[in-house]
Amino acid sequence: MGLKDLHSGCHCFANRMRKCWGKEKCPGTIGPLSQKGKAGRIRICKVTGDRRLCARMASMGVYPGIEAEVICPKNGSQCILKIEGGTISLDNSVSDNILVTAL
Amino acid sequence: MTRQVIMALAGNPNAGKTTLFNQLTGARQHVGNYPGITVDHKEGLLEHQGTRITITDLPGTYSMTAYSAEELVARDYLISNRPEVVINIVDASNLERNLYLTCQFLELGVPLVIALNMVDVARDRGIEIKADKLADLLGVPVVPIIARSGFGKDKLIDEALAVAARKQSWQPRDISYGDDLDAAIAALVPKIEATHFVDGLYPPRYIALKYLENDEQILAKGKDTDPATAAELEAIVNSVCEHTTKTLDVYPEAIIADHRYGFIKSIIRQGVVTHKFDTDRLYTSDRIDQVLTNRLIGPVIMLAILFGVYQFTFSWSELPVALLEDFFGWLSAATETILPDGRLKSLVISGIIGGVGGVLGFVPLIMFMFFAIAILEDSGYLARVAYMMDRVFRIFGLHGSSVMPFIVSGGIAGGCAVPGVMATRTLRSPKERMATLLTVPFMNCGAKMPVLALLIGAFFSDNKAQYMFLFTMLAWIVALLAARLLRSTVLRGAPTPFVMELPPYRFPTMRGLLIHTWERTWQYIKKAGTVILGISILLWAMMTFPQLPAERLAGYEAMRQNIASGYDETIVAEQAQERTVLSAAATDLAGQLQEINKREAEEALRHSLAGRIGIAVETVSHLAGFDWRTNIALIGGFAAKEVIISTLGTAYSMGEVNTDQTESLGERLKKDSNWNRVVAVAALVFIMFYAPCFVTVICIAREASWRWALFSIGFNTVFAFILAVLVFQIGSFFHLG
Repeated sequence: MGLKDLHSGCHCFANRMRKCWGKEKCPGTIGPLSQKGKAGRIRICKVTGDRRLCARMASMGVYPGIEAEVICPKNGSQCILKIEGGTISLDNSVSDNILVTAL
Repeated sequence: MTRQVIMALAGNPNAGKTTLFNQLTGARQHVGNYPGITVDHKEGLLEHQGTRITITDLPGTYSMTAYSAEELVARDYLISNRPEVVINIVDASNLERNLYLTCQFLELGVPLVIALNMVDVARDRGIEIKADKLADLLGVPVVPIIARSGFGKDKLIDEALAVAARKQSWQPRDISYGDDLDAAIAALVPKIEATHFVDGLYPPRYIALKYLENDEQILAKGKDTDPATAAELEAIVNSVCEHTTKTLDVYPEAIIADHRYGFIKSIIRQGVVTHKFDTDRLYTSDRIDQVLTNRLIGPVIMLAILFGVYQFTFSWSELPVALLEDFFGWLSAATETILPDGRLKSLVISGIIGGVGGVLGFVPLIMFMFFAIAILEDSGYLARVAYMMDRVFRIFGLHGSSVMPFIVSGGIAGGCAVPGVMATRTLRSPKERMATLLTVPFMNCGAKMPVLALLIGAFFSDNKAQYMFLFTMLAWIVALLAARLLRSTVLRGAPTPFVMELPPYRFPTMRGLLIHTWERTWQYIKKAGTVILGISILLWAMMTFPQLPAERLAGYEAMRQNIASGYDETIVAEQAQERTVLSAAATDLAGQLQEINKREAEEALRHSLAGRIGIAVETVSHLAGFDWRTNIALIGGFAAKEVIISTLGTAYSMGEVNTDQTESLGERLKKDSNWNRVVAVAALVFIMFYAPCFVTVICIAREASWRWALFSIGFNTVFAFILAVLVFQIGSFFHLG
């Protein structure tokens, strides 16, 4: 790997880190929830997309820094999240916009 | 004088508002284990220690920003009705998320009492909450309650009355939102105060916050009432918005949410909540979800469950339905012997017993279906169905939240399109809502079910449950295709995301199941006794008047006498005695006379107003195989679908003067030369999809507009007729009848 590649890789990583609201809480690899293939504990790093949706998600308890449990392995697009005492189901247009890291 | 107090119940969906409302007021409002059951607010009365309390159950909301219809309803109610106290129901097992809404009530300044509900569930999950400490830190009374059992309700009302008695003005609470936003709020508030912005209905800081949160309703109100100030406010908000997106890559509302949760955490971490242990119950519910909502197994289980519902309904209801049918047959025969011949007899037998009896006969079937739906709803499974169906609905331009309106309308046969149309309020996108609203009447509602049961029972009696299931599937497929058609033509637009809270799986209580089953069944019975009775009598009159001219009646009488004159007097006398065993000659005479009677009855029906309309329509309807008698029933169905059965019953029972035959309508149709399997399927298809009933049309007009209501009548009828013609022509071509 050349220096250029390394630089672009770092740059990409830095960008991803920058995008992460509450980034200090997300040390691992960050990716959209929709691409998370396994069940297990995650931490929400950032909620992107439509403003109304972000606000609605926050009111339902999905906001950066919160930990959640994914209960839908191999479901790809659709997803069920267990957050605190509630269970929230999401479609892929929403889970695409939730950036998470595995715990 | 009795003191009067106005209270409101507010909180997150599924926090137990309606359960508490029922506990307090003794009402039996529908409580479902499904979010968004209460779309509108409901009022109830309560007497407590000499105080008369009007209590309003608001729809469940997660926030006080105009993101959904429920939030708008709740906020508008609080602002315009100004209740003296708001009881905020908080789910103790999900405290942090529930307090997010509480924060917004505090910011709005409403006089508040917190009802900490489901403390028992929280305890089972190892969560201990110190209510006193929470009350101290929030500065509002907190009362632990268990809405289901009624525990703590008296104390709650005492506290609420104490708050109301103080008659304090609304006192908004300030929460800090960080330097950037606090500075923006500080700049916004004086402008709002100076101009008495938005008629001074909201606290100034609250308006500032809503502007920062990009609340569409408040923004629009601002523009309408004071465009100049609105523009100034928007300029400030835009600049802070630009700043936060540049520096933090987030919009102000995300920062607001973060600080609200920060505020909540700062409170609950001061020893308010202690977690003792994680219990297995949570994991059990999750494990159930892992199986029931699995991408592959989930839909298979769902279909199996729905099919099970049909098997259960049809096999268990068969006997009571048959018994009721026998009862009405017996009642008709008994009335026949008691009442003298004439119009009254015809009205009672053909109009009332045939009409209302035809509808009431299906009560056991409807009851079993409602019972099965109640199990699915109360257990929490129905919400999972919505979640799984979202994937399918998206293909057809609908939304996962469209599932509930579809199911309520009869997706699992036996609903009603009227509440279905109203349930579309939970959809946020106007186009998805309109597409749902226009296609829900395609579902097999409780009124269509007897028609389905009758025709399937008569023509496909071997596999009733399978055919019923098949026709339900057909309703779904056609509704979804129609939705796709609407969404790609007149209602084109982008889809909206699906986010829904899934309620926990709960064991339904027998009391809850019985209440749900009974309330829906009672609605059905009530409708049969009122609207259907009225329409049945009207249709009977239309089928009876104008009567045959006197010369035609005399002509038939002459024909009867002519035939009788060819027989010996003793034979005529024997026939007139209506004995069960007749001699060969008397049987022959009776047969000939009955033939004349039948011809007379048919001519009378043809001559009647309804008959004339039916015959006029036959020129077109014969393409789908419908004769003029069926047309009468189908036209009656425009008023209410239940009437189809009763009108068919009346049309096919009229003139059968000899009621020794108490054979059912199904048997009569089976014997009729105009009916066969193909006609039955064509009729079913037409009945399932043609114009919604009158009440639904009015409801569509109210929810959307008269233009859309008329569109639904025209579109559905043409669409249904084309399908029926196709079925009949193709079926007849292949001689499938």
